[in-house]
Amino acid sequence: MSDVAIKVSQPVALQARLNEDWLAVIVGLLVFALALVSISGTDLLGWAVTTSVYTQLASALSPFAKAYAWLGGGGALLATYAAMLVVLSAGVASLGGDARKFALAFTAVFAIAYASWIAGSYAYVAAVTPAEQQKFGIAWSLKLTNEGGFIVALLSGLVIANFFPRFAEWLKEAIRPELYIKIAIVILGATVAVTAAGRLNLASSLLLRGAAAIVEAYLIYWAVVYFVARKWFGFSREWSVPLASGISICGVAASIATGGAIRARPAVPILVSSLVVVFAVVEVLILPFLAQTFLWQEPLVAGAWIGLAIKTDGAAVAGGGITESLIMAKAAAAGVKYQPGWILATTATVKIFIDIFIGVWAFILGYIWTNHVNRGPDRARPAEIWQRFPKFILGFVVVFAVSLWLALGSTPQIAKALPSAAGEANVFRVIFFVLTFFSIGVLSDFRKLWQQGFGKLAAVYFVSLFGFVIWVGLLISWLFFSGFKPPLAS
Amino acid sequence: MAQSDLRNEIDAPHVEPLLPVEKRLIGWSLGLGIGLLIVLIAINHFVPIKL
Repeated sequence: MSDVAIKVSQPVALQARLNEDWLAVIVGLLVFALALVSISGTDLLGWAVTTSVYTQLASALSPFAKAYAWLGGGGALLATYAAMLVVLSAGVASLGGDARKFALAFTAVFAIAYASWIAGSYAYVAAVTPAEQQKFGIAWSLKLTNEGGFIVALLSGLVIANFFPRFAEWLKEAIRPELYIKIAIVILGATVAVTAAGRLNLASSLLLRGAAAIVEAYLIYWAVVYFVARKWFGFSREWSVPLASGISICGVAASIATGGAIRARPAVPILVSSLVVVFAVVEVLILPFLAQTFLWQEPLVAGAWIGLAIKTDGAAVAGGGITESLIMAKAAAAGVKYQPGWILATTATVKIFIDIFIGVWAFILGYIWTNHVNRGPDRARPAEIWQRFPKFILGFVVVFAVSLWLALGSTPQIAKALPSAAGEANVFRVIFFVLTFFSIGVLSDFRKLWQQGFGKLAAVYFVSLFGFVIWVGLLISWLFFSGFKPPLAS
Repeated sequence: MAQSDLRNEIDAPHVEPLLPVEKRLIGWSLGLGIGLLIVLIAINHFVPIKL
């Protein structure tokens, strides 16, 4: 969020976040609703592009539904781009953004991000099992699964941010990782519901354990990071609150919400948010591979750990997706084939549970600060809980509830058709993930952040993250999820 | 606020001792958090994950 966000004043940032939340709900629900129409037999989204693992580029792309095969892969890609361009440009215009600038920048963002995704599906990058290698006639591969495309997108963004800063600046109107991931999370509600409907007992058990994540993030992580920042590094209260929230709870959103609540100067939480994004990049590049190496026999522990350790919604949920692919690939190589969706659902559950309480925590801090630390006329009000509540979660809940009802409470025909409809929506979820990864990369200009005096802030983050956030998260994930595995694929 | 001001502020912050209310916040958060975790671990033990 480097230079782009640092220039934003706090009231504008808060306003934009709230509006962005509602836009994410609208776009996510639109995708979900159009996908649901396919249950009636009319396929409105079947033209969406999907990418398969390939050795010949011509065979990489195809439309989601066979009914749209006449479009071909290139036609499906263009149709997907055009549809997203129209919807998102209208959305950005409704936020007060420059639709023309957004459309131009989004064209480049989509092109580079999706090209990265396609590159990540190249068989030499993505093929995992010996059977797949044999199928594609290759002797080796990086075994990153096709979700290695997320890593390629992230690296592409990092290269642009650090070597082509003018181009990164030109792209900024379409660099909106928070918007993209929130839309993706709303859409994810359908996949999570379809997955949960298959094993309702397991799903409800996961929900119960999500409570542990709330306790850990708000009451344990926050207190320790705040203490470390204040006592060991000598930061002021104004810096320590957003810093502790960013490292402990949920990066950008929590940092801005709690910074606003204690009436910090606008630049403080914004600067901290930039740091959180940079560390999230580092974590996404490392933790999924550590999880694959050390936790592949405990997939749900790995999913919860990623949700607890990576501190932005985008990086955490997308990191859960990568972790799921890597672990499923390793398990498959060992002859164990898990049902897809459970690891990602665990990560998303943990993250969403943590997000829900951002507004409440911000109010508690705001109350303490405005009544006991810096007493003044501008006191915290209970209405701020709702103002700071991340509204996109409502979209996730609606999509989840409707999908679960369709899966369990409707007719067998609808229940049977639902997974395909959810799969159609999921195509867009993946594309929004790719856009998120690329955008996070573009926002991570390491040189500029260092110039802005990040060394000491980064030291707090480093000490907290590697000193205990990762390890306590692992311990708690282990205590609550070890020994329980996703169902096996039938 | 100029970026150089922020940098100076981060590098050489004005020392603010921990107020009693901050100490209470840290203490209560940790105490409540550890207590609730113990309760949740007990629930986890008696209500195991159902497959």
